[in-house]
Amino acid sequence: MIHDFGVVWAERSLMLNGLLNTLILSVLSAFAALVLGALLAMLLTHKTKAPVVVARGFVDLMRCTPFLLFAYIVYYGLPSLGIKFDNWSAGLVALIIYNTAYMAEILRGAAAAQPPEPAEAGIAFGFTGFGLYRRIVLPPLLLAAGPVVGNQVIQIVKDSAFLTIIALPELTHAASSIQSRHYVPFAAFISAVILYWLLCLLVETGVSAVGRMADARR
Amino acid sequence: MSAADVLAIFNGAVTTLLLSSLGILLGLPLGLAMALIRWSRVPLASQLVAVYVSLLRATPIVTLLLLLFFALPNVGVPIGPISAGILALTMNTSAFNCEVWRASLMDFPKDQLEAAQSVGMRASLRFRRIVFPQIVRSSLPGLINEMSLLIKVTPALAVVGVVDITRAAVRIGAETYEPLPPFFVAIAIYLPIVYALVSLQRWLERRRARLEAPA
Amino acid sequence: MSAATPTIETADGAVLRVAGVSKSFGTLQVLNDITFTVARGETVCVVGPSGSGKSTLLRCINWLERPDSGRIFLELEQVGMTAGGFLMRDKELSLMRTRIGMVFQHFALWPHLTVLQNVMEAPLHVQGRPKAQVREEAEALLARVGLSDKIDAYPARLSGGQKQRVGIARALATKPALILFDEPTSALDPELVGEVLTVMRDLAHEGMTMVVVTHEMSFAREAAGHVIFMDRGAIVETGRPEEFFRAPSTDRARQFLLRYASTPGQGGENAARQEHRS
Repeated sequence: MIHDFGVVWAERSLMLNGLLNTLILSVLSAFAALVLGALLAMLLTHKTKAPVVVARGFVDLMRCTPFLLFAYIVYYGLPSLGIKFDNWSAGLVALIIYNTAYMAEILRGAAAAQPPEPAEAGIAFGFTGFGLYRRIVLPPLLLAAGPVVGNQVIQIVKDSAFLTIIALPELTHAASSIQSRHYVPFAAFISAVILYWLLCLLVETGVSAVGRMADARR
Repeated sequence: MSAADVLAIFNGAVTTLLLSSLGILLGLPLGLAMALIRWSRVPLASQLVAVYVSLLRATPIVTLLLLLFFALPNVGVPIGPISAGILALTMNTSAFNCEVWRASLMDFPKDQLEAAQSVGMRASLRFRRIVFPQIVRSSLPGLINEMSLLIKVTPALAVVGVVDITRAAVRIGAETYEPLPPFFVAIAIYLPIVYALVSLQRWLERRRARLEAPA
Repeated sequence: MSAATPTIETADGAVLRVAGVSKSFGTLQVLNDITFTVARGETVCVVGPSGSGKSTLLRCINWLERPDSGRIFLELEQVGMTAGGFLMRDKELSLMRTRIGMVFQHFALWPHLTVLQNVMEAPLHVQGRPKAQVREEAEALLARVGLSDKIDAYPARLSGGQKQRVGIARALATKPALILFDEPTSALDPELVGEVLTVMRDLAHEGMTMVVVTHEMSFAREAAGHVIFMDRGAIVETGRPEEFFRAPSTDRARQFLLRYASTPGQGGENAARQEHRS
């Protein structure tokens, strides 16, 4: 068994490359999904009906669709629209679109729990539209939604593993290749599991930092 | 896509539903047992449960599935794709369920337990008649959320060769050189099931908010 | 002193003119043909039982609520509508609102910003004034309300009275022509009310134009230029405080004052606060 781990260690550059891909994919898509989700949340809570209906439809569709199937559709579907994407970009796009819906729903839920007075004061002092959202509404919202957003980031890390199916060289894919070449399944996949666990610890540290900022203002 | 193809996808769907149901049914009591172990602070066992839950909540289902499918035969435990699938789903969902049950247990008002103790109820009776009925009610939305999440990760089963809905869709796509339509059919099957669960969860949460709102 | 609604004066010294404002929420008529004028430097107190529409009136002045009919003029410019009779766009309304300050019953401070940042926020990001100048003025305002030692604290750490004083400083920061006070002390514990009323009294004596909805009769008696009594959505009586409090001319005003101001000082105000809280 120790020998197996030695084999994995010998292949560590492959493993680390996979880890790096997972990390970059997760960070980029989490950030993009949060920004786009904040914009989509504006549509979800709009005064007029039309944007709400469209946004709600999109969010509900993504929430009821398994990510792997959606990734397949992006991967196979985009070329037919004339967009040539390699599997890395297809994976990134799939993660971003899918999680934009989830982030929007999270922010909408958090917004419903916020007291209305500070936002009203913002309007009374002349803040409007995007400025109102960015300077008055969004910051307390993000502070309050920290833990839930953190949870979703962990989901993103785990969803990235599905992309091994479209041959994206992320962490699970790396472990699989080491396994199939050297027949060390336990060592290879346990190493991957530990690396995923460390990534989650990283996310949770970030969430705690946001939690401390929130506590200072609570 | 022919009628036979659609039928193949539906067959795959039956497999998916069966395996999901097994995972859900096994994961619920297992999660509760682990939550109770942590809540009662059983020495050693609660620490082990904590580590197990932490690891499993951080592990993607694909990775877990591959680990079980390839590593268990290697250590002398022969396992086929379906059993590996059920095991992976159960392990995964039990870890999340454990946290849902645990949240309800920690929120449980201590004075109710003390009242039960003071009329002479023993631990098992206290649990059965006082604690359990109430934590079921408060855990329900979270557990239903977990069920919808479990169903959404079942496409992973295709990775180890289970002929579920995803593998059927992939195979038909490869045969007909039109990969998209089978996936749309697959999503069309998943949608109502997940939507029903999500709606149920929302309804439960609204109902609880209404019942628990101050008069 | 009149018992009926006064006619509109064509005074140029008027900062605020409210003319025939009405508002309903569904079938409930909350404001009924409200008309009054506030002169420059004047403090007007609006009093009346709960549900008389006082808060709604205030919120119509800066268009947080849109009146169903009637017009509102801030220094000769109409609020909410352009000269051509069209609804004001966001940008125009926004500029209008920087000229009307507002102090809220529940303070409504922005929780993610420090006290100083709260006061600086609107001058900086709505009016676009230079940062160094805004900072200097904000620090001066906070010194004026007695909170220099709290400028870097977050609102959550402050007492109710301190929060409301920040609210007043924040309202002053945009250099408005008029400040609206929506029951500024109703949410405060009794021992904290005094510090806020002191600031408000000083503001009034310094010549700030103020419209104050309040239950604090002592403040109205001391600081108001005139008092408006509202009941069930209409102005029932107006007059100078000496006359209104000593000898009101309408029955309803008399009944109201018996309940809320029979004993000068704490008793009456506490009764009003209790009724309001329940």
